[in-house]
Amino acid sequence: MLVMGETPAAVTTPQLSQLVVTVSSARLSTPGGLFSSKPDPYLELSVDGQPPRKTDVCRKTLNPKWDEHFTILVTPYSKLDLKVLSSNSLRTDSIIGHSVIELYPILEKENGKLKNYTLTVELKAEGRNKAGDLTLILDGLDVNMRQYPRRQQNGPRQANGLSTTASPNVSPSSPLSETSLTPQSQNGRPAPNPRRPAPRAPGAPNALRRTPPPLPPPPINASSTTPAAPSTAPPPRPSDATNSGVATIAPGTTAQVDAPLEPLPPGWEMRTDPLGRTYYVDHNTRTTSWERPQPLPPGWERRVDDRGRVYYVDHNTRTTTWQRPNTESLNNYANWQEWRGNRTLEQFGQRFLYPQQQSQAQENDPNGPLPAGWERRVDSNNRVYFVNHSNRTTQWEDPRTQGIMQEDPLPEGWEMRYTAEGVRYFVDHNTRTTTFQDPRGGPQKGPKGAYGVPIQYERSFRWKLGQFRYLCHSNSLPGHVKITVSRDNLFEDSFAQIMRLQPFDLRRRLYIIFKGEEGLDYGGLAREWFFHVSHEVLNPMYCLFEYASTNNYSLQINPASSINPDHLQYFKFIGRFIAMALYHGKFIDSGFTLPFYKRMLNKKLVIKDLESIDPEYYQSLLWIKENNIDECGLELFFCADFEVLGKVEQHELKPGGSEIRVTEENKEEYINLMTNWRFTRGVEEQTKAFLEGFNEVVPLQWLQYFDERELELMLCGMQEIDVDDWERNTIYRHYQRSSKQVVWFWKMVREIDNEKRTRLLQFVTGTCRLPVGGFAELMGSNGPQRFCIEKVGKETWLPRSHTCFNRLDLPPYRSYEQLVEKLNYAIEETEGFGQE
Amino acid sequence: MAATRRLQKELSDLKSPNCALRKLFRDITVDESNILLWHGLIVPENPPYNKGAFKIEISFPAEYPFKPPKVVFKTKIYHPNVDEKGQVCLPIINAENWKPATKTDQVVSSLIALINDPEPEHPLRADLAEEYTKDRKKYMKNAEEHTKKFSEKRPAD
Repeated sequence: MLVMGETPAAVTTPQLSQLVVTVSSARLSTPGGLFSSKPDPYLELSVDGQPPRKTDVCRKTLNPKWDEHFTILVTPYSKLDLKVLSSNSLRTDSIIGHSVIELYPILEKENGKLKNYTLTVELKAEGRNKAGDLTLILDGLDVNMRQYPRRQQNGPRQANGLSTTASPNVSPSSPLSETSLTPQSQNGRPAPNPRRPAPRAPGAPNALRRTPPPLPPPPINASSTTPAAPSTAPPPRPSDATNSGVATIAPGTTAQVDAPLEPLPPGWEMRTDPLGRTYYVDHNTRTTSWERPQPLPPGWERRVDDRGRVYYVDHNTRTTTWQRPNTESLNNYANWQEWRGNRTLEQFGQRFLYPQQQSQAQENDPNGPLPAGWERRVDSNNRVYFVNHSNRTTQWEDPRTQGIMQEDPLPEGWEMRYTAEGVRYFVDHNTRTTTFQDPRGGPQKGPKGAYGVPIQYERSFRWKLGQFRYLCHSNSLPGHVKITVSRDNLFEDSFAQIMRLQPFDLRRRLYIIFKGEEGLDYGGLAREWFFHVSHEVLNPMYCLFEYASTNNYSLQINPASSINPDHLQYFKFIGRFIAMALYHGKFIDSGFTLPFYKRMLNKKLVIKDLESIDPEYYQSLLWIKENNIDECGLELFFCADFEVLGKVEQHELKPGGSEIRVTEENKEEYINLMTNWRFTRGVEEQTKAFLEGFNEVVPLQWLQYFDERELELMLCGMQEIDVDDWERNTIYRHYQRSSKQVVWFWKMVREIDNEKRTRLLQFVTGTCRLPVGGFAELMGSNGPQRFCIEKVGKETWLPRSHTCFNRLDLPPYRSYEQLVEKLNYAIEETEGFGQE
Repeated sequence: MAATRRLQKELSDLKSPNCALRKLFRDITVDESNILLWHGLIVPENPPYNKGAFKIEISFPAEYPFKPPKVVFKTKIYHPNVDEKGQVCLPIINAENWKPATKTDQVVSSLIALINDPEPEHPLRADLAEEYTKDRKKYMKNAEEHTKKFSEKRPAD
């Protein structure tokens, strides 16, 4: 698969170092017929095919003096491509001469150190005639040449020493040089390309297989004392590689691979410990590792930012990450991409089908306009109230959220009041008590409500939601807030804008603009924005979140997130983002773990909560809880270890805990402390930053009445489709509930399976997810918008949908069969269209 | 480290002259710097494995004993329950069965029992399991040859 004899060094990207190039001056030959007058020369400098840097133009001279400094990133194998061009205002700039400098021979001669190294190179014109001389100064490079063996070339190598004509044999050391191979053909000699074709699909299995095989195993070690791979998982052993999908290239544990070792990246050093085991020191990050640093995969580059921090550029996807890529992280990334790809496709199906046709005036209120005749006012105590001009009444309650609740009258002697914060409570004058619990929660029509929970519970959830919406509504601000993002750089753009704004601005009506796309945001674009950003949040390259377990897509904070130096800022951003989703009644596509929601609600985490996120840990704690531990030699103390980024840290569960033995007597306390610690270890700071960001937009106390399941429902919407609820909450235009087409419609909905129902729902509403309150709370572009079936057109027409209004245009078909056929056709067509 | 005291205790028990495994599991070495990684020599009693000895490696997670250790053969062994990479499927250290009270000596005993008496009904190497059930003679011959060729020298005493 990987041919090791084939210039292994060319397969990888040696680490980059900085080099300062001073372009001093040039002496150009007398122009031939091509230039009638003196040229306006400037110089283009390109390293290994990267986009060129340019000097200023010197006017009308054959002896240009630029004296410009360029700091470039090079490897010892780099090639500097220099072109002197003449600026031309009318035609394309013409090349006066060019030259290629290979660094390696120079470095070899100078022992890896370039300090104010001046060199003059010959410029060649197109016809290989001398076009002049160019003087440069190279400075600031210091590499250990022993780490960089002279590369074996496929073709005969020219001993070109300091001669500066282009060497067609230079192995491009950067993936970008794939493109730079073209200039070499200017020499009339085709360049033998030692590289295999550049990887195309970033992160795709293809690309992964190009990753050089793991090196022969270093002494296997759980890396307890030394920092190792940035992973919370045990360091990958060669034997584990079988599980990671790269088994085909992993050498066996016992078999020694005879392939030559790659030179270590700059700043790395190999050492041997007193026990004769080899380990690796990374002086860049001051960490050590048992694992030999793997060469970067093709298309990756190591860079240093202006604050001296190391990061990695993936030219395949044009993304960056703080984490040094390894097989595992690339695998994670590929999985995530695949997952995201599926998600997007699913949604994409209906998203762009029907352009938003709405031309209504923009409403600043997230709940949409007030009913006709209503007005919102604020009293002297800043409390919001509502005036109904048609019957000259006022009330505290928002008529829009009131309508959704459709409440029964209160029992005799009860009264409903509002706290200053707008939270509704109930006064029982019979007993002179007050409560937040709605007294009307008694047994209702059926045993179960719309989402399969008892009506009583549902009602109270609905009540809580009403309160939450009320709080959001009464704290909304006028005007809108524009958030402009590009699809290519969605996460970074969103991060920059959200963090630049004042938190309260985020409570204004959202106006999302995707750069380069027309269209007004009546809610659809915001919906899309939340959808996509919620995907990026868990892009493993940001190292912010990780899946809690492999069988679900619930997220938890990645304890190793600190590998990203800005991680706390990002968590704050995500906190704001999540709060915005709740505030604006939008959903995210990927949810968090229930324990995480509990943490948001500041609820005590119990041992049972561990089950979903760490079953082994849970089982062990449970075993301790359920068995007499005094006689089994557990040797447990009130302290615990945790490994993050290869470092094991001990934590005392209470002061002096490492000397307090766990006994049958005190184990209850131990279990509680361990449970709590298991949830907080390594993620406290991040959680704090997240909650801080959240709280700035939506005060956390607004959530206090919810439990974690409700919070999840609020944030992610519902999944399972309840046809009864759907039918109950559907309205009709130009049809009656009893119209035969309507009867047929519901007959069909009951006959198809959930997947088909989801597609039908997608067709009409633009999303497969349902709001927390079920169909009663379906949102359109202008606030609540129930599912609507309208009689439109003739029987030959296909059904159509208006996703902004959750409306289905259903022509008056003649028969049930016809309706089924047309609806099916519409749904299937839609999907086919969307996938193109 | 939290796991250290537990592992030190287990180690001294295993090395004690009273240990029942004294003859079957020997040469236990633990790095001073890393008590989470053990090496040792398995000395099986049953043929064909009694022609040699086998190095194993036991690695304990930082969360030990909340999470089970892992056992890997470092010497090649011809056995239906050990794969080519030395991985072995041992029910006692399975996630479902693991108890924090399980001791390493129990784990090693269970491993030795498995080596002495293969369980072809739960194989990691289906080819060997088939040979073991269908042509025991051939299996014994191959396994013995393999053992003589690849295994470690058995201790003298």
